[in-house]
Amino acid sequence: MAERPRILIIDDEDVVLDSCQLVFEGEDYEVVTARDGTVGLERAAELRPDLILVDLMMPGISGFEVLGKLREIDPTLVAIVITGYSTVNSAVEAMKQGAFDFLPKPFTPDELRMITRRGLEKRRLVLEAIALRRERELLRENFAAIISHELRSPLAAVQQNLFGLAAELEDQLTDAQKERFARLKGRLGDLIGMVQTWLKAVSVSVDKIRESFAPVDLPPVIAQAVETVQPHATRKEMTVTAEVAGPLPAVLGDAGTLTEALVNLIGNAVKYTPAGGRVTVRAKAEAGQVVLEVADDGVGIAAEDLPHLFGDFYRARSSAGSESGAGLGLALTKRIVEAHAGTVAVASTVGKGTTFTIRLPAQAAGTQNPAGTTPAASSTRDPGDQS
Amino acid sequence: MSERKQLIMIDDDPDFTEGIKSILSKHYDLDIFHNPKDGLAALQKKRYDLLLLDIMMGRGAEGLMIARKMGADATLRTVPVLIITSIREQIAFLFGSQALHPHFVAHDELLEKPVEPKLLLERIEFLLKAGAKEREGK
Repeated sequence: MAERPRILIIDDEDVVLDSCQLVFEGEDYEVVTARDGTVGLERAAELRPDLILVDLMMPGISGFEVLGKLREIDPTLVAIVITGYSTVNSAVEAMKQGAFDFLPKPFTPDELRMITRRGLEKRRLVLEAIALRRERELLRENFAAIISHELRSPLAAVQQNLFGLAAELEDQLTDAQKERFARLKGRLGDLIGMVQTWLKAVSVSVDKIRESFAPVDLPPVIAQAVETVQPHATRKEMTVTAEVAGPLPAVLGDAGTLTEALVNLIGNAVKYTPAGGRVTVRAKAEAGQVVLEVADDGVGIAAEDLPHLFGDFYRARSSAGSESGAGLGLALTKRIVEAHAGTVAVASTVGKGTTFTIRLPAQAAGTQNPAGTTPAASSTRDPGDQS
Repeated sequence: MSERKQLIMIDDDPDFTEGIKSILSKHYDLDIFHNPKDGLAALQKKRYDLLLLDIMMGRGAEGLMIARKMGADATLRTVPVLIITSIREQIAFLFGSQALHPHFVAHDELLEKPVEPKLLLERIEFLLKAGAKEREGK
């Protein structure tokens, strides 16, 4: 509701219009009047008042008819009928037609003020319910938000208590116990991060990420992706190295999801390469494209598995050993890369290793910062930024 | 510090609020409410220095409703709000992906659940200072 509630009075008697206006003078309302039902309906459609006071007995179209038409215009409008013949029948009939309440003539200024206040309160509740419903619908459309909330809430509650307990017991814990707390927090943090990463990737909508496209410098993206996977590699005593050949042209895209795509490929390589193995990420410019390769010296993928690799939930039979995973990673990588107008391909030799290749169109020189593209558009808010 | 700051938290997850309480109780007085209605009533009754607010409660995004009401209220507008939510990234969608979130009150911020104690205390101190300055200016 606007700060100054708008009230529409529809009555054919000047004396009623004038006295209502007089009563409302001290209140912070915007008052609009109409002398007959037709004009009143026009005003209602145009101004969407917060409250409508309508006389039942008017020449031309009657108050009852006005009520019915008001509901057609906007079922959320709140109307109060002013009735000259204060019979229960007409009041009940008006309420049936959708009126919120009725005010019998003659009425005192206080009666008018009170019923107006109640009507506006009703309007506020109606608008509130509408806003809530709208937000709920929006959330329903954003499936990822719901899932994210449901999955994250219990994890967040547990983690918050680990944080809290560690703070509470700070002076009483031994170093070994503190170390265990830290490990628990770390493990849970990994899980929360994983949930978030997967959900973000699952909900990657091509249109949505395109909205925030900006020139992306790839070396930091590669570094970030390698860094993300590094702990897993270290655990398996593997090395992950990045080799960037010369200056790379920027690509138009979304740094976050591109990182995600690379993390998936590097993570897979680490996962399916025996301990002690090696993963190499190479980047180079080639004929108007940027080529990113993720190569491992692992077990390789059987030729019959290769065509299905990028399908949802696909896990190659040869990999069905000890490694876990939902089998979505490659499908998501493909979706992300294709949203960037790129391609992703795989070449593999069993026993020798696998190489995934992403090709992205390079941004032409001189178009580094196209108008209307703000690199910060998709970034999170800086904590220090207060407006 | 002369007197302890008065904080209020509205979040429907008692386990989560428990975890927050054990971090904050050393430094601040904290009143906790597990439903938006009681929380808003308390806000209107007592002068708080800061609100910790969850978004997804009850019938939907009821936390936003509280923030919105505070924004429309001349007094409550000056109370800083620290939004702590598990749908930080999705909040933008609720507002047509414009800003990460619109500003309802004079000073607000958004953090994601769970919150590291250090970050939590830091942001609270920051907002308390901003809130105090806001009040002095009036």
